[in-house]
Amino acid sequence: MSLLSVENLEVLFNTDDGVITAVDKIGFELEEGEVLGLVGESGSGKSVTAKSLMQLNPLNTFYGKNSSIRLKLGVGELDVLRLKSSKELVVVRGGAISMIFQEPMASFAPAITIGSQMVEQLMIHTSLSRSAAQELSIEMLQRVGISEADKRFHQYAFELSGGMRQRAMIAMALSTKPKILIADEPTTALDVTIQAQVLDLMKDLIQEFGMAILFITHDLGVIAQVADRVAVMYLGRIVESGPVKQVLHSPAHPYTRSLLNSLPKLDALDEPLTPIPGDIPSPLERPPGCVFHTRCPEAIAGKCSSEIPISVNVEPGHQSACFLNESPVEKTA
Amino acid sequence: MIKFLQFIMIRAVMSIVTLLIVSFIVFSMMELVPGNCAERYIAFKNTQGQNITIEDIQAEERRLGLDKPYLIRAFTWMGNVFFQGKFGDSCILRLNINHLLSDKIWLSLGMSIGALLLSYLLAVPIGIYSAVSRNPIANNTVRFISYLGLALPSFLFALMIMLFTTVYFGESMSGLFSKEYRDAAWSYAKFMDFLSRAWLPILILGWAATAFALQTVRALMLDEIDKLYVTAARARGIFGRNLLWRYPARHSLGPVINSIGFDLNRIFSELPVVALIMTLTEMGSLLIDALAFSNDQQLAGAILVILTATIVLINFITDIILALMDPRVRQGLLG
Repeated sequence: MSLLSVENLEVLFNTDDGVITAVDKIGFELEEGEVLGLVGESGSGKSVTAKSLMQLNPLNTFYGKNSSIRLKLGVGELDVLRLKSSKELVVVRGGAISMIFQEPMASFAPAITIGSQMVEQLMIHTSLSRSAAQELSIEMLQRVGISEADKRFHQYAFELSGGMRQRAMIAMALSTKPKILIADEPTTALDVTIQAQVLDLMKDLIQEFGMAILFITHDLGVIAQVADRVAVMYLGRIVESGPVKQVLHSPAHPYTRSLLNSLPKLDALDEPLTPIPGDIPSPLERPPGCVFHTRCPEAIAGKCSSEIPISVNVEPGHQSACFLNESPVEKTA
Repeated sequence: MIKFLQFIMIRAVMSIVTLLIVSFIVFSMMELVPGNCAERYIAFKNTQGQNITIEDIQAEERRLGLDKPYLIRAFTWMGNVFFQGKFGDSCILRLNINHLLSDKIWLSLGMSIGALLLSYLLAVPIGIYSAVSRNPIANNTVRFISYLGLALPSFLFALMIMLFTTVYFGESMSGLFSKEYRDAAWSYAKFMDFLSRAWLPILILGWAATAFALQTVRALMLDEIDKLYVTAARARGIFGRNLLWRYPARHSLGPVINSIGFDLNRIFSELPVVALIMTLTEMGSLLIDALAFSNDQQLAGAILVILTATIVLINFITDIILALMDPRVRQGLLG
């Protein structure tokens, strides 16, 4: 079995305006040491999916009956969604899975030193003594390239630069040696040069720590650099997934194609950009049939607006959920 | 450390400057009231059947030093207040103000700070728990009581309690001491007697303050709880009380501490009215008396300076606590 296998994940929010479907019966797997990129626009449900892995979604969230998030732990496995209390979730939160966020400044508590937050986490998940935890934390800060780590250990997040904060966040996330790291747009809030440094650091650490990463971003360029496989999300569904080269070189789903076309091309800067027409629909008004049909340039009238396309293999390991892909290839189970 | 001491010194100097300015304003306001102390006193004597001449007034003015220029009198008064803590004699009662107020200051400050303590001891835990609680009945009860506290004026609440206690217990709960202790020297028994009565004005004064502080704490907590650092802390496996107190609660308390000075101010403004209704013999009722009835500006001014000094002192303390608690504030202040 894979390190992580998500099946039929359905995430719903109870709101004043009714029940909102944020994630609609998706499934994916993550192998040990693999980097899976999760791509999509804002509102596509990628962050919600990631947070579900640790049950971090807000209180008004509930999950579909048949949803399961199975995690391999040692010899056994557990279903994250079956864990009821925060106490039971400790094995997952910060233990098996760590998460880093888009805003490194906002993810540190402003009035607690970085070191104190790192030690606190280590005291929960390891049997280290306080001084050993402090030593390990400073070591981790050094490992991610923070200079004067023992001084930074006693500083607050606001005293560090943006890139340094994200490095510290990564150091904190990795200090408990998680099996999976969720990176929720970890470089989006950083300058491009710093972004490259942080990405390089992450690639190094993947090698060194041998963990799996779920990398969430809307930036296909970043995905091309770090991910092994990619899953493209739109309005709560995975519309296409597969090895990153195949998906980016020969996208099968019209949405992936539109996404790639909307990127500026360095070799043809004078060409106008081709944005995807329209906006992502409100989750309160999810289109029936294929969720992308309202913006799809290739939509088949009558069919796409009523029937839900099933994911099919377009190449081995490369799947797409579109009627246009259906004819020549066999269906997946 | 040296920077911190420097910061405390600067704050202390600023507090003293504030007090000087306030006392100058208070003195000027005392002066603005028509007639001076000599005229008022003589006029007061007049009503008691003495025949007064202009010469009498002028003699009295000279005796009180009222013939000297305004600024000289202002600085003399301020100097006496600041360097010797002497407020001089009351204008009408002709008594030494320090002597007149000595006990009453502590009664008033005791009740006000009691009310302040009560309100924060209740508001902080209840506010924090009601922000995170998912129990709608408890939440709505807290909200109802606190809105009632905000909406019901203290004087009305005091009147209702007076009416209630007089009708049902026969004896009114007014006054701060039982008869036998009224003029007795302070002792443990007198202190307990004071507490057995003072809880009521403390409750009345504290209720509105509690309601206000509760709303503040709740709103700040709700704001803080949705912040990313709280989610990030949860993602690291921190939960329960460790999460609540160390993360959102701790970070939402800064503005709450900041508001203590304002709350004390509000309690002081309500103190005289409550004192009047409950016939408490303390500073607040004297203030009303001096301002509204006897026109004793010397006494009123002294009380105003004491109240302001207390608020300035509390603000000075909360500023220091805030700097100790929040590294961002420290950074901003100390550079």
